[in-house]
Amino acid sequence: MTSHIKMDERVERDRLAEMVQAVIGKPLDRPEGALKVSGAAPYAMDRLPANACHGVLVRATVSNGTLRDMDVDAVQALPGIRAIIADDRLLRNPAQGMAGEAPIQGPKDIAYFGQPIALVVAETFEQARHGAQALKLRFEADGTAIVAPDDPKADIETPEDEQDSTGDLDAAMQTARHTVDAHYTTPGHVSAAMEPHASIAEWNGDRLTLYGSYQMLRFNRAELADALGIEEKQVRILAPYVGGGFGSKLGIGPEAVAAALAAKALGVPVAVAMSRQQVFESVMRRSETDQHIRLAADEQGRLIGIGHEALVSNLPGEEFSEPVTQATPFLYQGDHRVIGHRIARVHRTCAGSVRAPGEAVGLTALEIALDELAAASGIDPVKLRLINIPQKDPSQDIPFSSHMLAEALEEGAKRFDWDRRRSEPGAVRDGEWLIGMGMASAARVNMLIESKARVTLNANGTGTVETDMTDIGTGTYTVLSQIAGEMLGLPMDSVETLLGDTAYPPASGSGGSFGAASNGTAVLLACEEIRQQLCERLDCDMQGLTLKDGHAIVGNRRIALPEILDGSRLVGEGHVEPGKAEETVRQATYGSYFAEVAVNAITGETRLRRMLGVFAAGRILNPKTARSQCLGGMTFGIGMALTEELIHDPRDGHIVNRDFAEYHLPVNADVPQIDVVLLDERDAWANPLQAKGIGELGICGAAASIVNAIYNATGIRIRDLPATLDKIIDGLQSRTD
Amino acid sequence: MNTDLMVNGQAQRLDADPRTTLLDALRNYLHLMGTKKGCDHGQCGACTVLVNGRRINSCLTLACMHDGDEIVTIEGIGGPDDLSALQQAFIAHDGFQCGYCTPGQICSATAMLDEIAAGWASHATKNVASLPGLTVEEISERMSGNLCRCSAYPNIIDAILEVAAGKEQS
Amino acid sequence: MSEGRYLRPQRLDEAVDALKGGGWNLVAGGTDHYPARVVEQRPEDILDLTGLTDLRGIGEFPDHFRIGALTRWTDLIEAPLPGWFDGLKQAAREVGGVQIQNRGTIAGNLCNASPAADGVPALLSLDASVELASAGGVRILPLADFILGNRKTARRPHELMTAILTPKPARPARARFLKLGARRYLVISIVMVAGLLEVEEGRVAGARLAVGSCSAGAQRLPALEAALTGQPADAGLAMLATPEHLAGLSPIDDIRADAGYRRDAALILVRRCLADLGGLR
Repeated sequence: MTSHIKMDERVERDRLAEMVQAVIGKPLDRPEGALKVSGAAPYAMDRLPANACHGVLVRATVSNGTLRDMDVDAVQALPGIRAIIADDRLLRNPAQGMAGEAPIQGPKDIAYFGQPIALVVAETFEQARHGAQALKLRFEADGTAIVAPDDPKADIETPEDEQDSTGDLDAAMQTARHTVDAHYTTPGHVSAAMEPHASIAEWNGDRLTLYGSYQMLRFNRAELADALGIEEKQVRILAPYVGGGFGSKLGIGPEAVAAALAAKALGVPVAVAMSRQQVFESVMRRSETDQHIRLAADEQGRLIGIGHEALVSNLPGEEFSEPVTQATPFLYQGDHRVIGHRIARVHRTCAGSVRAPGEAVGLTALEIALDELAAASGIDPVKLRLINIPQKDPSQDIPFSSHMLAEALEEGAKRFDWDRRRSEPGAVRDGEWLIGMGMASAARVNMLIESKARVTLNANGTGTVETDMTDIGTGTYTVLSQIAGEMLGLPMDSVETLLGDTAYPPASGSGGSFGAASNGTAVLLACEEIRQQLCERLDCDMQGLTLKDGHAIVGNRRIALPEILDGSRLVGEGHVEPGKAEETVRQATYGSYFAEVAVNAITGETRLRRMLGVFAAGRILNPKTARSQCLGGMTFGIGMALTEELIHDPRDGHIVNRDFAEYHLPVNADVPQIDVVLLDERDAWANPLQAKGIGELGICGAAASIVNAIYNATGIRIRDLPATLDKIIDGLQSRTD
Repeated sequence: MNTDLMVNGQAQRLDADPRTTLLDALRNYLHLMGTKKGCDHGQCGACTVLVNGRRINSCLTLACMHDGDEIVTIEGIGGPDDLSALQQAFIAHDGFQCGYCTPGQICSATAMLDEIAAGWASHATKNVASLPGLTVEEISERMSGNLCRCSAYPNIIDAILEVAAGKEQS
Repeated sequence: MSEGRYLRPQRLDEAVDALKGGGWNLVAGGTDHYPARVVEQRPEDILDLTGLTDLRGIGEFPDHFRIGALTRWTDLIEAPLPGWFDGLKQAAREVGGVQIQNRGTIAGNLCNASPAADGVPALLSLDASVELASAGGVRILPLADFILGNRKTARRPHELMTAILTPKPARPARARFLKLGARRYLVISIVMVAGLLEVEEGRVAGARLAVGSCSAGAQRLPALEAALTGQPADAGLAMLATPEHLAGLSPIDDIRADAGYRRDAALILVRRCLADLGGLR
């Protein structure tokens, strides 16, 4: 009943291309669109039961120390208060992605300012909020807390397996005709999904149902069970609609555990939604980075050496560290290489995954450095990248599975009229605005994660897809329905995709851009299983079976599916696992960005006028939803380039700008009508769909194209993101002084 | 305390704590879950509803301050089987991804088209005295009170432009 | 402390009477009240002023305009007003998003007294006064004397702001408002500048300029105003503004910008404002 594949080698046969329903690859609308635009799609807090109590989390106001006491009695006496939960099972911070077990627990030991330490539960939200604010706490602070990674007293780890060196980069830097040797810094960022983290917990005996806002349910179920000390099978999590994730909802969070504990204690459902400020303070931030990049090139601009050494930070005891240099080993050629990675242990909000951990900031810095090399060598930035594309992965000496960086660069340059760019900075002026163009490469590693899915061909000839995969805005509902429709010959209105329920087969979850390809493969395999069963009923071989518009065509017969099914239904399960293909070839996605900015010569304000992204990510399952993913990624890049920056208080590390008024996401007026071009590609090493991930590719290097455009406009090189107006005006003034 | 509201054309009597915001009243007391809480601070626009025809952030106002007011939420603009032209255009142009900010975007855009029809100037309007045009810049500015982290902004603009063009023709 | 008291008077005398007891949190548009309420405890007793409908609207009198305290930003944007209100209208369109402008009141912006309040510089350039009512009667204070500092005003606990009064300029006047922020819109300002010029026979007959977000409260620039008076009203006015004219400002370093940048940007914005008002741009 289960069709299984382990990706050990190429899958030559392109099954989707053999199908005739013609829904795959089409820009179809989202099937859940009507629910979303009418407010009828139920997100976690929309499931609020009438008898639910409300919980509000209480946070620590020291960054390192011990919770000694809280004035529980005074709050208990307030109207409506039902409980104050300060259980040792409360989470210090959310679990990291794919942890599958509880993170550090216990509210007494404080590791960062904003750590959740208790939950006040009341009959109404207003009462609970009041109680949480009224709760008096007594901390014993440890005065020695290190809160900044550049604090000389900070404990710095240098994990041996994350350092790499080949050749002699120092010597290459000495002899090279052109070099770049500079530090680049990026500040902390947050995912800032529009839906704050929220959970509603309800117990039925010893069984827990949790309506949550999570990305990876099979892992979240294990994490929640582990945190509570119960069996996985006692836990069911539902998250059919998730109001954005971008990494922030990979692992189970403090609100889920708190809601479950409170609901158990009180015997009623308990709803806990974090405030926006709490999301900022107690959910994952992207680590700030300090990146030392060295480039050595010969007379023609060919790279002979690349060094990329990063310093990031995290809380003591956390395994995750921002993999800044992830794409550096394979993106460009160069025999002499140094990769470095260091982690400072600091008492700041936990660092974790934020959209495209690694490349988002690492490639951005590398691509600014490439622009510096272009300027230093006088070689056009597009050409410089083209001549440095390696023939195979230069670090591991393995072939690329597919590689369309050159095509993306050339296509982008053509569409953006790159040849109109003046290479000397500050050459184009429009009134008081300086105009410049910049570009960057995009690259992101491609992953496959074990996934299962079940497909049912119902007696009435419709199809149902079931998996605990989530759709966090990525288009999962759409693309899984398209794959099933294509494979089973069903029009889109005959396929229903059900997601976000741990009662369904366990999937990869949404993260790392692997969702569509991993789960799409599981769905494809499940459909193959059904096709096999149809062949048995029709007494034909797989080659002879054509499915289209709810009919089977075999030889000269065309039979409606209900007729074949004759009151029964067919069920198929698909199961995909990663295999040796991960080591045999280098799998990645590529692209290019082009940006045009206007920088005000007087105030230093930057206005993004045009932006183009060209991307290759294997087969594009749905160009409409894929394009939207790219728009979103590029807009993250706009924020990273110009406005987004977590600011920590130097005394206790607390996040100063913990709301949307002070942490500046791009607003509508900051974003031009971005162009996205998706190249036609197939990657047979990736999976049977020949598709790769696209959810993160759009951010990986995007900010560099804008920063490079600012350089072209003004001659000012910003190495410390974001490129805010005060930094630019400083540069403009020192140029005129 | 009691507050009488007219919500989506229906009279509703609310009995809630005076500290209750209009947003929490709609969700927790009247069980209208279409209006979303994104920041509870007036900084994101996810909770936008129309009060007496004007768009406001429902998180920034107390329910008891609206005795006698007419409120329209996303549920009053169009249900899944009865979508407005704007809601349909949002689907066709993929003017959303996760969908969480979408009810607020649509309430805001619905009111904005009325504002433009009434000829109100915005920050982007070049000449304060002249009628605003339906440019990308004008719409973009007027929709900037609604954040979207998925960044469907360009698609939202396209959806609104399509509906506005349809209105001009008719 | 539980739900607290809630009172929504329908008449001014009821409101003023209630204020005698003290302890009320005054709420008009509510757009500043609630954000503060989310993150910290606030007095729960709410005096809801929205029932005082007589206080909403703009009236013209022989020598001044009277802006009722409950007038909302959108009311102001939509009102047909003389050109010297253009600066205030431009400021109105940058108060939060349209959702905020539809609810927030001008008086609330003044009473909240944030250093970054968008309405204050333009009202200073209009030479506005505020009217405060209490059981003891009515008093009128120049706006510059009303705002005492960061979130501090001269309003006594038993007083209610009832109106903002702006005199009609003696001569033809033009006005402008400029705001600089870290993103295009929906942003707390780094620097704001408002200016009003009275022009007669091609020369500046009177000037009022104010800078916001560069001191605890927005400030007028009297030395610059004096320097402008009598000068030809053209774009050349811009270059009359010097760093010394801004010496009275006391900008701070904060997360939006540092003091040095604020000082530079303020001068740039003042010059831009003057160039605009001079009429050649």
